[in-house]
Amino acid sequence: MKVLIIEDEKTLAYEMETFLKKAFYVCDLAHTFHDGLEKAQVNSYDFILIDLGLPDGDGLDILKKIKKSHPEAAFIIITARGNLEDKITGLDLGADDYLAKPFYLLELQSRMQAIARRKFNVQDELLTIGDFEIDIQKRLVIYNEQEIELSRKEFDLLSYLLLHKNRVLTRMQLSEHIWGTFADVDYDSNYIDAHIKNIRKKLNVLASTEWLETVRGVGYRIRK
Amino acid sequence: MKLATKLLLFIAGSKLVVAALFILLLPFLVDQIASEYTNYILKEQQEKVMDIVAKNGIQYYLQGEKSYGSYTLLKEEYIALEPYTDKASLDTIKDTKRIIEGDTLNYRVLSHTFYDENKPYLLEVGKTIASIHQYNQPLQRFALYVLISLIVFTVLIDVTFTRLLVKPLGQIIKSRLVNRKFPFKEQEAKIKTSTTDFSYLDESILILMRQINEAFAKEREFTANASHELMTPISILQHKLENLLRDEDLSESAELGILETMKTLDRLKKISSSLLLISRIDNEQFVKRDEVNPVVLLQEILEEISHRLEEKNIQIHLDIKEELLLKQVNHDLLFQLFYNLINNAIKFNKENGTIEIFDELLSFNQYQITVKDTGKGIAKAQIPFIFNRFRKSDQAENPGYGLGLAIVKSIAAYHQIDIQVNSEVDKGTSFRVIFNLFNDA
Repeated sequence: MKVLIIEDEKTLAYEMETFLKKAFYVCDLAHTFHDGLEKAQVNSYDFILIDLGLPDGDGLDILKKIKKSHPEAAFIIITARGNLEDKITGLDLGADDYLAKPFYLLELQSRMQAIARRKFNVQDELLTIGDFEIDIQKRLVIYNEQEIELSRKEFDLLSYLLLHKNRVLTRMQLSEHIWGTFADVDYDSNYIDAHIKNIRKKLNVLASTEWLETVRGVGYRIRK
Repeated sequence: MKLATKLLLFIAGSKLVVAALFILLLPFLVDQIASEYTNYILKEQQEKVMDIVAKNGIQYYLQGEKSYGSYTLLKEEYIALEPYTDKASLDTIKDTKRIIEGDTLNYRVLSHTFYDENKPYLLEVGKTIASIHQYNQPLQRFALYVLISLIVFTVLIDVTFTRLLVKPLGQIIKSRLVNRKFPFKEQEAKIKTSTTDFSYLDESILILMRQINEAFAKEREFTANASHELMTPISILQHKLENLLRDEDLSESAELGILETMKTLDRLKKISSSLLLISRIDNEQFVKRDEVNPVVLLQEILEEISHRLEEKNIQIHLDIKEELLLKQVNHDLLFQLFYNLINNAIKFNKENGTIEIFDELLSFNQYQITVKDTGKGIAKAQIPFIFNRFRKSDQAENPGYGLGLAIVKSIAAYHQIDIQVNSEVDKGTSFRVIFNLFNDA
């Protein structure tokens, strides 16, 4: 899939590019409003990531202009302003998602995957982990055709870990994915631990959850 | 005590002292005046008699008799002329007794000896003591009445004038100092007064307020800029670390090292985003357009936070009775406010502790929600500082950044919410959040 990254902070743009390339996206970079507008008009992209704080224009204007000519593209707004009004305006203008700086690249990737599922009808195959099957779309965890009831947050956690399997995810990464940046000011929250404990409890009854590892002092990882 | 009251008390007091002194002295003064005046009258009469004698000779009075005497009907005054036998000449005024027609009366008597045709004579002019003092009482009374009415009159004038004089001070206190909430928003017009002290005071206060506002604005601007500017380098670092982690050849220990670094970076990120949040609240960048039902809000929060209760097996009792809407508020900020309070109530609670959340309508305008825990409490000396940024409690087991309550404070100030803290060490803490339901602001 093709991605246009409109971001004036070059280092940031490069890092995003590096990350997305590894996840098999094709990336174009634009560092100014005009460059971004031009690239977006001329080429066609699946994703356009727009930083709102561009030096020569408001990123929201790019969204306004391109949305009409390229309705198929998915827009993700990125801002350091952390302003709720920006978010609302952006979503009203047709943006598909919104990320506040600083965000995790993993979070960006999972948001893009969610949009792809929704917008481009990309079907995930049924994921298997251990003896369990997980249906991301229907939000189900299945063992031997038997559904296991997880709470919304527990499922979010499990699917997020699974999406980024074989990687250690810090508690912060996990809690930002579930609660966003707004709610929690505790930096080393134990919230995640309670949820993981519950997930293990619910799944262990049926089969082993050895694949869900605790990385001491850091976070969790699903090894597969 | 107010200056106006003090001035009035002083004025009234000093007048009373003067009046009391005068009233005490009055009988003595009236006595003195009456007696001086009597002496003067006696001397006048003596001179008249002596004039007549000098003009017409003593026989004008004596008419051949040996002596002459005359007194008024009630024997209040008398004049007597008689030959004088003593050698020593007399010229005195003294109080003495005289018997006139069988009545013994007290007189003031002027005695004067003189020679006429080489014979010595004695002139006596007398006035009864009673008649001297007959006007004392009415005089005293009259003087007293005049005095009292004068005092009442001047006190009235003083009251009016003092009020007028002190009025600008009252205005300064009322408009500049009473109920002023920081930051001082509107700069009111100068207070009109011709008293230079007051206008100087007023101007100085205005200048000080302006300076405080400027300093505060600068601090806010700095916080906003600094935390905002930090976001980009933090983003870069975070993305770089994430990309490093993607390296397949990474050794286990290198991976752990990077993850540890990310944790530290998270901390930095949280601090700057909390500061940014505070400065954005202080800069009023949130819209207050929501209507919030306290029950719904608190239930939302409890749902978010409930999974934390299991850690310490804490019970939460939510008891909201009032059916009302909090108007012109920002839902997300109120959420954050109560979230932080309840979060603290969990964090600093004991094993198997409880948290009570209940409401109360204090008056038609004041609505209070209390969050009460059974935690370790806060030492009394610490309470004034708990809302300061970067406060660290000495005994914290899981220290935060010390920004949670600072955020609460900013949100409360922005919504004109009053927060009161009661705490007892080892018993627990209660935060009372008091809303003004009908805000003028």
